[in-house]
Amino acid sequence: MKPIDRRQFLKYQFQGMLWVAGASLVFPSRLLAAPSVPDLAVVTGSPEAAVRAAVAMLGGMNQFVKKGARVVIKPNMSFPTPPERASNTHPEVVRTLAAMCREAGAARVLVLDNPLAPEEQCLEMSGIAAACRAIDEDMVHTVTRPSRYQEVEIKNAVTLRQTDVMKEVLSADVLIAAPVAKSHSGAGVSLSMKGMMGLIHDRGIMHRLDLHESIVDLASLLKPDLVVIDATRVLSTGGPGGPGTVLTPGTIIASTDMVAADAYAVSAFEWYGKMYAPDQIKHIRMAHQRGLGRMDIEKLSIKKKTV
Amino acid sequence: MIVFRRSIQIGSLFLFLVFLAAAGNFSGSDLFLRMDPALVGITAIAGRVIKWAFFPALLVLLSAPLFGRVFCGYICPMGTTIDLADARIAPKKPVPPRWIRPNLKIYLLAFSIGAALLGVSLAFWTAPLALITRFYGMVVYPVVLLFSDAALTVIQPIADRFDIRKLMFLSIEDRRYAANLFVLLLFAEIFAAARLSPRFWCRYICPAGAILALFSVKPLVRRRVGEDCNGCGKCARVCPMGAIDADDPVRVRYADCLACRTCEASCPQEAIRFSTEHRGAAGVPVSTDRRRVLVSGLGGAIVAAVGLTGLMAATSDKAEGEVCDPRLIRPPGALPEPDFLSACVRCGQCMAGCPTNTLQPVWFAAGPLGMFSPAVTPRRRYCDPKCTTCGDACPTGAIRRLNSRDRVWARVGTAIIHRQKCLAWEYRKSCMVCDEVCPYDAVKFEKQLELPFPVPHVDEDKCAGCGYCEHFCPVRNEAAIVVTPMNALRLGGGSYEETAKSRGYRLRLRTEKSHVANTPGYPGDDGTPASSGGLAPGFDEGL
Repeated sequence: MKPIDRRQFLKYQFQGMLWVAGASLVFPSRLLAAPSVPDLAVVTGSPEAAVRAAVAMLGGMNQFVKKGARVVIKPNMSFPTPPERASNTHPEVVRTLAAMCREAGAARVLVLDNPLAPEEQCLEMSGIAAACRAIDEDMVHTVTRPSRYQEVEIKNAVTLRQTDVMKEVLSADVLIAAPVAKSHSGAGVSLSMKGMMGLIHDRGIMHRLDLHESIVDLASLLKPDLVVIDATRVLSTGGPGGPGTVLTPGTIIASTDMVAADAYAVSAFEWYGKMYAPDQIKHIRMAHQRGLGRMDIEKLSIKKKTV
Repeated sequence: MIVFRRSIQIGSLFLFLVFLAAAGNFSGSDLFLRMDPALVGITAIAGRVIKWAFFPALLVLLSAPLFGRVFCGYICPMGTTIDLADARIAPKKPVPPRWIRPNLKIYLLAFSIGAALLGVSLAFWTAPLALITRFYGMVVYPVVLLFSDAALTVIQPIADRFDIRKLMFLSIEDRRYAANLFVLLLFAEIFAAARLSPRFWCRYICPAGAILALFSVKPLVRRRVGEDCNGCGKCARVCPMGAIDADDPVRVRYADCLACRTCEASCPQEAIRFSTEHRGAAGVPVSTDRRRVLVSGLGGAIVAAVGLTGLMAATSDKAEGEVCDPRLIRPPGALPEPDFLSACVRCGQCMAGCPTNTLQPVWFAAGPLGMFSPAVTPRRRYCDPKCTTCGDACPTGAIRRLNSRDRVWARVGTAIIHRQKCLAWEYRKSCMVCDEVCPYDAVKFEKQLELPFPVPHVDEDKCAGCGYCEHFCPVRNEAAIVVTPMNALRLGGGSYEETAKSRGYRLRLRTEKSHVANTPGYPGDDGTPASSGGLAPGFDEGL
């Protein structure tokens, strides 16, 4: 058989590339990438190992954080309670995410929230400030000063047409949502979408309008690049502040789709002693209907792992 | 000598301001207030109390027979502030009016004592340290913060650029005070009086000055004039207190001499000395009209009596038919109202120290005798159940010092819900902010059959009136949940915890409760059966 020459080889190569390129126009790229990157990564294990494994399954932190990027991590640290109460994100989860951002070459990593309770008490009791100090002396902050917020219009909003967002968040290259999984007597659950309320100044208006609708409006504005839900402990009852029943599934749920991540968390754990479907949370249902993400988790690719 | 006095004055004022900025954060931050003999004297008489905390005032009092009014001339921040203002306002050659005499301050003191004998403290109108603390704490401090904040807004983009985190996230509190313009007006008058004479306040009005004057008629260290004096009278012209007899400059009213030694420095003959050597010292005695003193005292007593028969006057808190402002909430640890008003000198130290700015001076909410007294204002901000600053800052014990354990039990009132304003009750919205923020877990949400979302109820035995709910309630203007003084604990002594428990209150901080092991009940954590068709709060039937 006549060996193919270099010219022929390049031609075949080029044709092949064209076919692949053409195919990717026809088929969603997700299908081609399916074996490697799932829609949801669900890992059970110790907080640090689980976070690392979950993000790795989504392609690693380098997928989200480029060299020199400015990152904002939004945990729950709005209650002056210790980690075992499950009202705040586990300090290990926040610390691991921050460390991973640093490893990926982030220029600046900030951990920000706007708590209702006295700020210093939240920073201290949650354990988040102390945990992150190992990485950067001055990384965790609460932002309450009105001038640190900037007014933003929300296009296509149903009810919350404008809001004030933390300037650091608006100027950040990457936003990572790191909520704890907890029940919420008003919103049903408080996960990544509800957690975005911690990045705006006036939350009261969301209650005066319609809580669920405005959560969705806000989620259409603040879309995290990466969602890591901390279900190492789940506040199953009595949320958001507790005290309530704390489950300890030891799970981390990671996704780039906040609706999918929230939907999975709703379906995976007991709330007030019963199992629920994602569509029983109005803001998840509405977000799905408005195309902000997908709550039909049975149709999504979910990769599970124990570490 | 003048430089020496100026540096002591400025140093003392500086220290006073540092103490004020740290009000309640270290024991002794109220030291300057407790040095004021009028403040302490009037409080001791009105409140019928003597305590070790009053000791500094006694020392100041003892300084008078030894060195004269050195407290006024060197230490008093009010005096220094007036000096600073005088330097800019006073005319070159002031001509003090003839219709006003230095004895006026003694009659005013008698007036205050007359009122104090009936238990009414007027120290808040006259005691210099009460006034100056209020001025710096409630007028100057917020303005300084306002400008600092404006400066910070300019600097922060630069800090952001260079990633200076401390500066980026620096937050300067915004402080606001009720009645601050009124305090400014009062001080504008005090400063403007420099047009009539320098140190007008210290000369004619100040009750602390009056007390010290009475004790420094012939101080041990005092001014004497040597034989070189040629009677030029320059000293009499430069004396800021007008204490030197213009016709015979050897003669001086020691009661009004601040030992500032301006005369010593200005004497062309260098004939003036301040020493224990009394040759050449000639004093003019204080000659008060005893009848006028008595009449002034009687006047004070009459005004107090009329004040005490005002409709809003404080009576014991169990009195029936008592009319008081329905929203007047006293700080945690405040004495029973009558004792509180006798002891409170309205210095504003507690309000300057209050970290959340919830403590505000009231106008007439507590009646005319309660003007400028502090009140918790939850709509402004909550009263942190772990904070003991106001009690620690109080110079007279009108607000008791509480340990952190008792503090949690020092209940200031009870929250009530205006259902007709409540988002959940009236507007059928999903709102649970009052429950979310309540540090005592005293708000319960329950499902009502005809309403789409759970609605709040206050468990009054668990509520301490801290005001988190009122502050954070999303309903604007007046909140839908407000704190009233009902069931406030006002104890003159003893443990708040014991008293609260004996009344059946269950005041426990949420943060100190451990998580509940297993309570499938809804909505609270007490295992009550679900009444919402079995759905967890916030969930619905779905698609």
